[in-house]
Amino acid sequence: MASADTAPPAATAGAFHRIGFTGRASEYFGIWIVNVLLTILTLGIYSAWAKVRRNRYFYGNTVLLGRSFEYHARGLQILIGRLIVIGAVAVLNLVSILNPFLALLPAIAFLIALPWLVARGLRFSARVTSYRNVRFDFVGGPGGAFKAFILGSVIATLTLGILTPLASRWVARYVGANLRYGGKAFDTDPKLGPLFKAWLMSAGVAVAVLAVVGGFVALNFEAVVDAIAGSAIAGQMTFSIWHYVILVVYIGFFVLFGVVGLFYRAAVRNIVWSATTFDGRHRLLSDMSRGRYIWIAVSNVIVTILTLGLMRPWAAVRLARYVYEHTGVTFVGDVGELFSAIEAQGSAVGAEFMDFEGFDFGF
Amino acid sequence: MASETVAKAGGAIAKGDWHPAGSSRSVEALLVEAAGELVARPAAGGKALAGAGLSWLDISGRVGSIPRRVTFPDGSVFETWDNDGIDRYLAARGKGSAGFVHWLEQFRLRLVVIVLVAFALGGVIYRWGVPALVEVAILTTPPIVPQLMGQGTLATLDKTTFSGTKLPEARRKEIIDGFARIAAQSPRGAKAYNLNFRDGGIIGPNAFALPDGTLVITDQLVELAGSDTEMLVGVLAHEIGHVELEHSLRQFYRAAGMTGLIMLIAGDVGSAMEDVLVQGGGLLALSYSRAAEAEADRRSVELMAKAGYDPTAIARFFGVLEDKLGDRSDTSILSTHPGTPERRKDITDYARIISGQSDPDLQ
Repeated sequence: MASADTAPPAATAGAFHRIGFTGRASEYFGIWIVNVLLTILTLGIYSAWAKVRRNRYFYGNTVLLGRSFEYHARGLQILIGRLIVIGAVAVLNLVSILNPFLALLPAIAFLIALPWLVARGLRFSARVTSYRNVRFDFVGGPGGAFKAFILGSVIATLTLGILTPLASRWVARYVGANLRYGGKAFDTDPKLGPLFKAWLMSAGVAVAVLAVVGGFVALNFEAVVDAIAGSAIAGQMTFSIWHYVILVVYIGFFVLFGVVGLFYRAAVRNIVWSATTFDGRHRLLSDMSRGRYIWIAVSNVIVTILTLGLMRPWAAVRLARYVYEHTGVTFVGDVGELFSAIEAQGSAVGAEFMDFEGFDFGF
Repeated sequence: MASETVAKAGGAIAKGDWHPAGSSRSVEALLVEAAGELVARPAAGGKALAGAGLSWLDISGRVGSIPRRVTFPDGSVFETWDNDGIDRYLAARGKGSAGFVHWLEQFRLRLVVIVLVAFALGGVIYRWGVPALVEVAILTTPPIVPQLMGQGTLATLDKTTFSGTKLPEARRKEIIDGFARIAAQSPRGAKAYNLNFRDGGIIGPNAFALPDGTLVITDQLVELAGSDTEMLVGVLAHEIGHVELEHSLRQFYRAAGMTGLIMLIAGDVGSAMEDVLVQGGGLLALSYSRAAEAEADRRSVELMAKAGYDPTAIARFFGVLEDKLGDRSDTSILSTHPGTPERRKDITDYARIISGQSDPDLQ
């Protein structure tokens, strides 16, 4: 190709560039409600195409250096992938119903297939994503997925969550170090120290809240007992106080662990993204505020519920804007030169790949 | 071809960036129509970068205002933010502008109609669609499935918890005779049911029905009843009700259907909302199981009345439960069975209603 026509992107200086998000709630609202309507009308079949439109909207509004990302999956690929998964789950469940001795069969089959499905799913997601006409690729295999996702969760569970940071690190390295763009590699190596610090802070918040609530109940123990006894006398109430207690405790734990999970997730994202490099030189950065992130996520859920789901598009756009606008890249050297040299590599080159072996299993 | 010159002087369709195939290198370019072909030209002037007839091009569909891609047959790509320019051109060529789905999605007053229709359809699907699908699934389930389910479950329970009955032959005979009288009243006929006695082990006093018509009553329940055989027959009539109304299959299909619906719109409602919906769905499933218990209670009343027994015999059983096991709990959103006192009242009320209609002498 002639090289005299190379026009540099808007900014050529090697410097820090933030990602921008140009989506608007009003615009996404239309896409969202039509997605929901057509999904219901087609008894769910349209949901595959709905996913394409949703992802195209969010990727297409995520902008770096004046150019957006792009989502290339097609509805049929997603539909076929889903049908395969639904079929497999249905068959396995039927077998376990017909013969209760095989009740664990679906779980075992799922655990065996999971690493493979995760690796394939990540590769699919990477290959249907492009930036500046070059697709991403993912080269991780099932072995790495097994270590990161299954071994990691098992270890985290067995240690009552104490080794969660180790699992987070394995996941980050599996995903981050196997990602490719135009034949050049991403790499990430988050340190355990900061991850453990984030975990300790999250666990501390949980323990503190439990201690305050537990202390309150203990100090007012007599009042609580009286309330319960009082309701037993009241007798024919539709709701007994015990059911209220169970319900409140249940919702309380649901909310507490949800919020603590958000706190940890935001911290891990900052740590992992900021420890990620592209092509060994260009550094990624994530600088979300944990408090702000939690506030956005929690208020999103509340507003969505209060509006019977109608504000969900607003919530989705609001969260995406916050997350992407707190993400950026520090480029070393001339950005125009960098992107002039990147060419699609390997099997992720064209759309043809997708027709033959690309199905989205949704993992 | 030569006679067809460019109609619009300097009339570029859109301004954007052109990429060679598989490259992130870009050239600022204009999309113009020349000699019946769409051509990408360098904005700075120069010879055409790529061109082809409209039918040879792949123009990405419009989603919101994300960039459009025009892919040329040689694999090169022209990308532009100027959606309106592309749509105007397509509309002028009779290619349907941005498409029907995009037309629906626009933030206009008609979206209100779409919102209302989506909500109404969602309600219709929940109220009638899922139950209808459940009926279809039950009708198309081959009889072998409930048979295998029943045999498998009983075999498992026999191996793990149950042991052979220790009841005297005469006591069993009394119950079997009573059971035969009510089973004969069932539309499926006495042959459809098969009563089994077992030592309940850790399960204790219990009776249950498997979907193939296998009924199990434990020694402990028979002992709990003392000498009141009629009461036990009432309990068995309740279990026959579960089999007749196919409650276990219904419950299974219903849960599968609701989970499927939630999963399908999951991507559009967000993960937090999905959790809330799944938890809420679980609570609704519990209330569905309460409705099934009430239905089986009423069926017991009917069968007992038809067989010439005391239709409220099962209410006596609940009385025994209250006395011996101290079960005075009220119904709540968290329970699978209706509260015992409430059930007794419903049963006596219903017995009064049907006896008033069918057999005034019983009043």
